[in-house]
Amino acid sequence: MRAIILSWEYPPRIVGQLADYVRALAGQLVKNKVEAYVVTYHDFSTGEYDEPDGVKTCRVTNPVHTHIGVLTWVLTLNQEIERSAANIYYKTGKQVDLIDAHDWHFIPAAVTLKKALNLPFIYSVESLEEHRSHGANSPFNMAIKSIEWLGMYEAGKLIVKSDWMRDEVYRLYKVPLEKVKVILPKSANWVKNVLETYQTVAGGKAS
Amino acid sequence: MSHELSVMMLTWEFPPRIIGGISPHVYYLSKSLARNGVKVYVVTCDFPGAPQHEVVDGVEIFRIDSYKNPSPDFATWVYLMNVNMQKEAAALVNSLDGKVDVFHAHDWLVATAGIGLKHVFRKPLLATMHSTEIGRRNGIHFDYERMIHETEAWLTYEAWRVICCSDYMVSHVRWAFGLPADKLVMAPNGVNADVYAKIDNDDLSRIRSKFALPEEKIILFVGRLVHEKGVHVLVNAVPKVLGRVNAKLIIVGNGYMRDQLSNIVKSMGFAHKVMFTGFVDDETLRKLQKCADVSVVPSLFEPFGIVALEAMAAKSPVVVSDTGGLSEIVEHDVSGVKVYADNPESLVWGITKVLTDDNYANWLRNNAYKRIQEKYDWNKIAQQTKTIYNNVLTECSKSFWA
Repeated sequence: MRAIILSWEYPPRIVGQLADYVRALAGQLVKNKVEAYVVTYHDFSTGEYDEPDGVKTCRVTNPVHTHIGVLTWVLTLNQEIERSAANIYYKTGKQVDLIDAHDWHFIPAAVTLKKALNLPFIYSVESLEEHRSHGANSPFNMAIKSIEWLGMYEAGKLIVKSDWMRDEVYRLYKVPLEKVKVILPKSANWVKNVLETYQTVAGGKAS
Repeated sequence: MSHELSVMMLTWEFPPRIIGGISPHVYYLSKSLARNGVKVYVVTCDFPGAPQHEVVDGVEIFRIDSYKNPSPDFATWVYLMNVNMQKEAAALVNSLDGKVDVFHAHDWLVATAGIGLKHVFRKPLLATMHSTEIGRRNGIHFDYERMIHETEAWLTYEAWRVICCSDYMVSHVRWAFGLPADKLVMAPNGVNADVYAKIDNDDLSRIRSKFALPEEKIILFVGRLVHEKGVHVLVNAVPKVLGRVNAKLIIVGNGYMRDQLSNIVKSMGFAHKVMFTGFVDDETLRKLQKCADVSVVPSLFEPFGIVALEAMAAKSPVVVSDTGGLSEIVEHDVSGVKVYADNPESLVWGITKVLTDDNYANWLRNNAYKRIQEKYDWNKIAQQTKTIYNNVLTECSKSFWA
């Protein structure tokens, strides 16, 4: 199996909890014979490509340096993430089984790749704008929420990290519960459950 | 009918959605390309009452959800709209089994969609730069402007060819983004003279009487009421022109300067001699252009100057600023009068010269009409554009993407 993981943070660039989680996940996938690619952002202190512990890591930067907010930064950066993922697709002879997008940042890229190349994707939810912004409803927050909605609508499956989050994605976005898989990070069956979920989506079976 | 070549146009405006010059440009270019055997798909923003999918004059048009959620600002809306445009265009190309040969993006407003489609399908991207942020703002002063400027630079970087509508814009874009000369190509804007020829004379006198007295000459300005269009320079020229000729200035268009301009006119005591019509429909506009005794384009910055071309097609004599694309469209004393930009005195001289000498005015209108048929015919421009596409495809076929 070949999977592309999209995450806006990845060691050594650590913003919150997501970076370490994604690294641990990618490492476990490699151990379980998944060819794991991570496509992430770099800010010039990290290289463009390396393969720590067998994880093929592609780092892109944003060609637009000046921004007026995190939204314009994320939306333009998506094109480079998308380009890098498309390059993997073509270099591997179009043999990519699925994309695993962590949080809302690179949902636009995942959606275009799905529509263009029939690559199914999983939306792995770390946190939601509703909780991060304490229910704020300014146009800025609504725009991020609309991207989260798009991800949940287009994803083959959602992976959430707690029962509470499963109830929240249902409460806030009315995602059908059979589409949501609760997997406790680093629990005994963690990687087994992730792989099973990958299998249901791979090749477009679940989407 | 089998097509040798197919193109997907990306544009944020297409009739009936008309914001500026890109909408008619893409409409006439697409229609003329289709007539020359090119399969054209247009992906554009939706518009109230316009269908999601239709075929107009052989062109297949797809209107996408242009992101109606509130956005923090215009630029963020543009990038969000591009997410939807890219997603819909991707699904469309996929449903066509990838049978799109080139993507053609018009301005930064569709930059990220064009760049994305290029890479997911590995098909060449072309960009037409109708204008630039650094030109519109006369420099880059704020982060917001710089972000747009850098997005434009990125689009030209990703494009296989960058098309500009005038030699002036070719050199401007080359300077603004540091592009190699062989990446740039000039293909002018066109104008459709038939729509003016069709108008009958009874209609004209009816329209004329609505806007001016029989003894008044009509001075026409058409454009957005913004600083770069120089309409304030024209307003400042009004008292001296009226000292020599009995005329009425008709200002068609809207913009943030409207209140300010109308206050200036009132304070000069010429409210009865200057009329602000706001936005008018196409029919009325064309009739007005046809009865104008002089059409003035006083721009300070003008990448092309389509209104001058329209006036020439309507056989109205033109007075234009000697700047940007206007300098190339008009040959001084032959197809129009050129005046110094940002100079009311010069404008007074040019307008008065045309309005006080009928023989001279007729000489200008006849020459101008000949000129637009030679150089600004959409059919010729479409053939030129088709050649550009074919050249790009030949080059692309030798690359590792082929």
